[in-house]
Amino acid sequence: MSDNNVMKGGLGTVLLILSVIVLVASFGFVMYNLMSHGHASFNVSSSLPWGQPISTYLYFALASSGLGLIASLPLVFGFKQYYGLAKRAIFLAFIILVSGMAVLALELGHTFRMLWAIPFNMQIQSAMFWMGVFYAADLLFLLWKFQKMESGDWDSKATRTIGIASFLGVLLASGNLALIFGMMSMRPFWFDGLLPIYFYLTAVTSGLAALVFFTYLAYGFQRGAMPEKLQQTLTGGLPKLFAAALGLTILFVAVRAITGLYSNNPEIYYVWTDYLFASPVYIASVVLGLLVPFALMMSTSLRVNPGIQILVSVLTFGGLFAERYFFVVGGQVIPLFKGTWAWDMIQYTPSITEWALTVMGSALLFTLYVLGEKFFNLSATPEQPAMSAAADQPRQATA
Amino acid sequence: MAKWGMVIDLDKCTGCQACTTACSMENNTLPGESWQDVLFYHEGEYPTAQMKWLPRPCMQCEKPSCVYVCPTRATYKDEEAGGIVFVDWNKCIGCKYCMIACPYGVRFYADEQPLVEPDIRDVYPGEDGQMWSPPYQNPEQDWRRGIGIQPKGVVSKCTFCHHKVSKAPEGVADLDEDDPELVEYVPACVRTCPPKARFFGDLDNPESNVNRLIGDKKGVRLLDHTGNRPQVYYLGAGAGIPAFSPRKS
Repeated sequence: MSDNNVMKGGLGTVLLILSVIVLVASFGFVMYNLMSHGHASFNVSSSLPWGQPISTYLYFALASSGLGLIASLPLVFGFKQYYGLAKRAIFLAFIILVSGMAVLALELGHTFRMLWAIPFNMQIQSAMFWMGVFYAADLLFLLWKFQKMESGDWDSKATRTIGIASFLGVLLASGNLALIFGMMSMRPFWFDGLLPIYFYLTAVTSGLAALVFFTYLAYGFQRGAMPEKLQQTLTGGLPKLFAAALGLTILFVAVRAITGLYSNNPEIYYVWTDYLFASPVYIASVVLGLLVPFALMMSTSLRVNPGIQILVSVLTFGGLFAERYFFVVGGQVIPLFKGTWAWDMIQYTPSITEWALTVMGSALLFTLYVLGEKFFNLSATPEQPAMSAAADQPRQATA
Repeated sequence: MAKWGMVIDLDKCTGCQACTTACSMENNTLPGESWQDVLFYHEGEYPTAQMKWLPRPCMQCEKPSCVYVCPTRATYKDEEAGGIVFVDWNKCIGCKYCMIACPYGVRFYADEQPLVEPDIRDVYPGEDGQMWSPPYQNPEQDWRRGIGIQPKGVVSKCTFCHHKVSKAPEGVADLDEDDPELVEYVPACVRTCPPKARFFGDLDNPESNVNRLIGDKKGVRLLDHTGNRPQVYYLGAGAGIPAFSPRKS
């Protein structure tokens, strides 16, 4: 087993304690405000009903889908050079989705009612009904797949079938999530049949950012401490994949921006001119969160540099979080059916409670992550006689 | 069963907001929770600038996008109740997807920051599950149809005053506030309209006054391109809302 994983030692325990403290504090703060002020503690309104809690959920859900898609490279499509990342990717996909769902649960008006009202009423015309179905299936398949890996069964027929089912579940879940927005013809900024493609691309990009960051974190940001196979992945195909995903994300953002700016439709045009490009935060998120990481990852020497990889993953993390936020809010800032009765675009800044909810989701993610690193061998790879024994060093489970 | 429709004559409407006030009193809505509102706006610039207004209830669409997106069937169109779109407060989970999907912006999530201070919900704290409980309130309550004062965490909307119109005699063509036999069944906004700019009747009855008005005076439905097909029609000049444009100053 690999004892270089710092999350298994004292550092991991410190991070775990910190994460739990932040989790408890942020959850307590959110619950106190929800109990005392209800959703009035959020800054959303009847004119702009979906705010940062929804964009945080979207961010987590899509990062999970991205991780699921990355894991499918070795597990479904046979790219065995990515085996070293697969188990951690599956685990991260599971816990990020759980964290996202926790955030969503506290955003809803009636969380527990959802548990019976959605399945018992079978409103199959609603994309949100299918979101529940597909993400529940996604969660189940991720768990099942992880359980198979944990028991050492990586390549049986049943495991491969679960892998394919999981891959399809991810595609359906994230594609359907895109259509929750993309099918809204009354919201022209979102209305786009190709939105699932955009979501797949950005999902993979945020998934790669999460995977690179958490893999490095597990080994104290020391690549030399990682198992050899993991090092090979981080210096081989993964950086190129990261560069390609960033490039395609930028392409899609550019195409949406050009289309929006060219359009005469004020419900799209003004979103770009007076909201997105008027916001220094949005411009910073595109430049620092997408363009700079892409430029760094295009350099053959820089993209294999551990420091650069960590920097790029952190920048991309932030960039795509902002991208999700501006996507969700941007679709609502133009007042609907108000004409000049509305004084201006709808103003929205997340409240402290909404920020606390985002912090809570992140703290839950870190808590589950450290627990996962402590109790499982997330760098495990399958038995492969053809490969060198040294490369297989960390394959045994620790729990 | 009737198919209830509303006709609003913009050439008669004075923009007095009596309908908005009557709706608020009838349905005990909170400030800002304007199930019925009159939108004021300007169009064009000097020397062709125009001042306009548009009364806006829920359109009770024939093909309501809010109904299709609701994951729990909490929002539903009740053909037995004249095609009115209701929210079942026992099923609503407060996901607000219907508010995203309604092209007319006529749905409200009142569990939000107050429009005016003091917060009237603090002045009259809620009892028996209500979000707030004013000392004088409409005794009509039907949470399965979103009638009364809502609990926390659900979406509310105009019900075409179902608690009144549902008691009208079977087969009546129009609910006219000038008819002493029918006045109690007329929706609050229609009954109170001082210039008699609003009409309420059965769109399925060829003899109804609302059908005659729509046919004779070229009634239109707003945002018809969305395909929602409202059961609210507008007469007169200027039926429509200009596109949004940011203020220059």
